Amino acid sequence: MDKKTILIVDDEINVCKSIDRAIQNVEYEVRRALSGEEALDKIKENPCDLVIADLMMPGIGGIDLLKFLKTDFPEINVIMITGYPTIKTAVQAIKIGAFDYIAKPFTPEQLRSVVARCFKSEKETEKRPPLTTMPPGIYYIIGHTWVRPEEKNKGLVGVVHDFLKTVGRITNLQLPKVNDNVLQGEMCAKIKDDAGFNYGIWSPATGKVLEVNEELNKDFSLLKQSPYNDGWLFRCALTDFEEDKESLLLSK
Amino acid sequence: MNLKYIYDKFLSSPLRAKFFITFLVVICFGGVATLFLGTRLEHKTIFSLAQAKVRHDLASARMVYNEKLFDVRDIVRLNSVRESLQNALKNKQRESLLKHLDPVRTEFNLDFLNITDAEGKVFVRTSNPEIWGDTQSDDPLVQSALSGKTAAATQIIDREELLKEGGGLAEKAFIEFIHTPKAAPREKDHEEKALALKAATPVRDENNVLLGVLYAGVILNRNYEIVDKVKEIVFKGEKYKGREIGTATIFQQDFRISTNVESENGQRAIGTRVSKEVNQAVLKEGKDWIDRAFVVNNWYISAYEPITNMEGDIVGILYVGMLEKPYIDLRNKVMGTFTGIAALCVLVLLVILSAITSTIINPLKKLVTATNEIAKGDLSHKVNINLKDEIGQLALSFNQMTDDLKKANQKLIHWGKTLEKQVEERTKKLKEMQDSLIQSEKLASLGKMAAGIAHEINNPLTSILINSHLLLEKTDDDPYTKESLNLITEETSRCSSIVKGLLEFSRQNPPKKEPADINRLIVNTSAVLENQFKFQNIAVKKDFDSNLPNVKIDTSKIKQVLWNLMINASEAMPDGGKLIISTSLSENGKKVVIKITDTGKGIPKENINKLFDPFFTTKESGSGLGLAVTYGIIQQHQGSIKADSEVGRGTTFTVVLPISSK
Repeated sequence: MDKKTILIVDDEINVCKSIDRAIQNVEYEVRRALSGEEALDKIKENPCDLVIADLMMPGIGGIDLLKFLKTDFPEINVIMITGYPTIKTAVQAIKIGAFDYIAKPFTPEQLRSVVARCFKSEKETEKRPPLTTMPPGIYYIIGHTWVRPEEKNKGLVGVVHDFLKTVGRITNLQLPKVNDNVLQGEMCAKIKDDAGFNYGIWSPATGKVLEVNEELNKDFSLLKQSPYNDGWLFRCALTDFEEDKESLLLSK
Repeated sequence: MNLKYIYDKFLSSPLRAKFFITFLVVICFGGVATLFLGTRLEHKTIFSLAQAKVRHDLASARMVYNEKLFDVRDIVRLNSVRESLQNALKNKQRESLLKHLDPVRTEFNLDFLNITDAEGKVFVRTSNPEIWGDTQSDDPLVQSALSGKTAAATQIIDREELLKEGGGLAEKAFIEFIHTPKAAPREKDHEEKALALKAATPVRDENNVLLGVLYAGVILNRNYEIVDKVKEIVFKGEKYKGREIGTATIFQQDFRISTNVESENGQRAIGTRVSKEVNQAVLKEGKDWIDRAFVVNNWYISAYEPITNMEGDIVGILYVGMLEKPYIDLRNKVMGTFTGIAALCVLVLLVILSAITSTIINPLKKLVTATNEIAKGDLSHKVNINLKDEIGQLALSFNQMTDDLKKANQKLIHWGKTLEKQVEERTKKLKEMQDSLIQSEKLASLGKMAAGIAHEINNPLTSILINSHLLLEKTDDDPYTKESLNLITEETSRCSSIVKGLLEFSRQNPPKKEPADINRLIVNTSAVLENQFKFQNIAVKKDFDSNLPNVKIDTSKIKQVLWNLMINASEAMPDGGKLIISTSLSENGKKVVIKITDTGKGIPKENINKLFDPFFTTKESGSGLGLAVTYGIIQQHQGSIKADSEVGRGTTFTVVLPISSK
C-alpha cells in the first residue's frame, strides 16, 4: 500500500515542524514548504495527495495556491489553516474547493481527524458513486451543513451527505439545546465516530434553536441514512437569513 | 457774493426764523407796495378832485369878472338912449350933459364916464370937466362905437389918459413891484399903466344920426370888488386855521393889481409877481395853468387863465387858488389811517404766523427730541402729538416705526439669546460626537491591532499547543511532567481564547437584532449575577417602566453590556451598597433609557473621559476591554452610553437605545 503524501505549507518554520510532528504516521509521508512558490515547485516536481496550507502568506497566499491546485491538480485535496479565521474566508475557501478549514491554534487530534476524514472521503469516492444526492431548494456550506428555509423565518438544519461519508460509524452526537443561539460558521454540534475522532459541525445560519431532533439521540444512524429528511439536526428561528444566504450555495 | 452769503445764512437759520423772515419780507414788501400805491392813488384822487374844483372856481371867477364888465357896458348903453342926453349932446349943452352923467358915474362907481362928439373928441369928461376936446378915436372901443357898435373889453390905459381923467386915477394905478423870488426878471421896478374894464356905445338922435360916443370904465388896479366877490361867492369866506382857504387875483401883465392873497405883513400882496413858469405858460403861450403853486408864502392849488383885450392880446391873468394845506392834512390823515390799519394787519398776521409756526415747529421739535432719544437707544420713547394733519400722521408713523423698531430689536435680542443657547447645545453635541468619534477611532485602531496580534500570536500558540499535546501523548506515567504539560496546554488554550476574544472584539460582527423585552433581559442577567459571591452585600433594586415597548437589539450583546455594567457596579462596592437599575422611555418616545446606579466609591473626574478607552483599567486584574467592548456594542445599536459620577457617592451609567434601529 502506497504511503499518502502530505505537503505542509506555512511561512513559519516552527508551525511547519509542529504540524509535521502532529501528523507523522507510518501511513503518511510528510513534506514541507515555507511559501506558496516553494509549494508549487514541489508539487509540480512530485505531486502529493494532500496539501495543508496557511491562508495568509507573503507572495502566493493560501487562496491563490488553492485556486491553482484546483485548476491544475484537481485530485489533490487541500485543508486550509489560518491564524485569522473569519466566516468569509472559510466559506470562500470551501467554495473554491478546499476540503476543510481549521482555525489556529489547534490540537494534534483536531488536525488528525480532518486529515483522516479527508483520506476516507477519497477512498469512499473511489469505491462507489454516492447513493444519496442533495435535493433541490436547500442552502448549504460545501461539505458541512445545510439549511432549508421554512415559513415564518424558520429554518431546518442538517448535515450534508458529503461530510457524513467521510465520517466513520457515529458513536456519539452532541446537539444544541432549545433556546441556544447558533451563529453561522460557528460550531453548533459535535460528532464522534468509531475511529475516536471528534468532528465539529458548523451552523449554516444564525438564529435561535426552537426544537431539536430527539429521534437522532435514539438512533445516530438516522443521520447517515437520511441526511436531508429524518436525519435533520434542529429547527431554528432565523435572525437574518438574507445576510446568511450570501455565504451559502443553493442546490439545484 | 454778498447776496449769496445772506442766502446761505438764511438757509442755515432755524425753521422758525425762516418762516418769520419769509413772512416778514412778503408782508413788508406787500405792505409798503400797497401803502405806496394807496397813497399815490389817494393823493391823485384828492388832488384831481381839488384841481377839478379849482378849475370850476376859475370859471366862476371869470363869470364874476365878466359880469362886472357887462355891468359897465349896460350902464353906458342904457344911458345912451336917454332922450335928454341925446338932446343935450345935439344941442351941445355941456352943463346939461354933465348934470346928467356925473351922478351916474358916482352911483355906479365908475372911474370915468365920458362922452364924445361924432368925431370922437371928448365933449364932456365927467370926472374932470376942465379937460375936453381931446380925441379918443384911436381907442378901439370908441372906434367900434363910432362905427355904430357897442363894445366892452379889458384894456390897458396909459398914464396920460389916467392923468386926463384926474380923480387920482394915476396914483391909484401906480404900483411898485415887490421882489418875488421865482418871478421872471423885469426891467422896470414899477408900473404906471392901469388895467380897466371899459365899454363904449354910440349915441344917436331920433333919426338915428350919430351924435357921439358914450364910454365908461372901471380901473381894476387896487380895486378889490371883483376878487373879494369871487372869494365871497366861491369860497364863502371859509378859513382854515386862520387862513383864507380861497383866494382870487387879477394880474396886469405879471404882477398883482387886485388880490386877496395876503403878504407876510398881512397886507394885500399888490405888486408881487407871478412865477416864471406861469408867466411863460399863460402870458406868452396863452394857456390855462392848473397846478400846485407856492403863492407868496403858502402852497396853493392854483388855476390861472389869461385876460385878453379887444384885439385878443393878453393883457393880464385871472387867478383863483385853494390853500393846499387842508388837502395835505386830509391826505396825511387818510394815509395815517391807512398805515395804521396796515400796521395792525401786519401785527395780526405776525401773531397768526407765530401761532401757525408754533403748531408746526413744536411738534417738529418733539420729533427731533424723540429721534435723538431713539438714537441714544431709548426705543420706548413716544411722540405725543394729537394733530390730525400731516405732522400728526408723521408722528403716528414715527411711533409706529419706533414700535416696529422696538419689536425688531427685542426679536433680535431674543434671537441672539436663543442663538447662544443653540450654539451651546450644538457645541455640546459636537463635543459628544467628537468624543464618540475618538472612541470609535480608538476601537477601530484597536481592532486592526488585535487582528494583527491574533494572527501573529496564533502561530506560536499553534506550535505550543501541538507540541505540548504531543508530549502529553508520549508521557505515560510521570505525573510531574504530565501536570506541567497539562498546565501548558491549559494556559495555551486560555491564550487562544483571549486571542479569540480579541478577534471577536476587533471583528465587531454586525449585531443580529430582534425585538426583545429589555426588562426581562435585565431580570435574567441579574438573576444569574445575584447568586454570585460579589453580590452578597448588595441590594439590587429594579425600577422598571412596565410599558416599555420591545426594542430591536442583539440580545446576547446587550446581555454582555448589562453583565459588564453590573459586574463593574458590584466591584465598585466591595463593602456592599445599593444597585439601582431603572428603565424608562425617552421624552420623544423613540428611545429606551437604562440607568445603572451604584453607591460605590465613584470615579474621579480625570478618569471619566478615559473610561471607555480600550485597555484602560483601575482594577488589578482587569483587561481594560470590558467598557470598550460595551461602548462598541452600544454604538452598533446606534445608541449612546455615558457615565456620571461623584467620588464617594457613586456612579450612574446611562444607556440609551433606539427602539427601532437598522
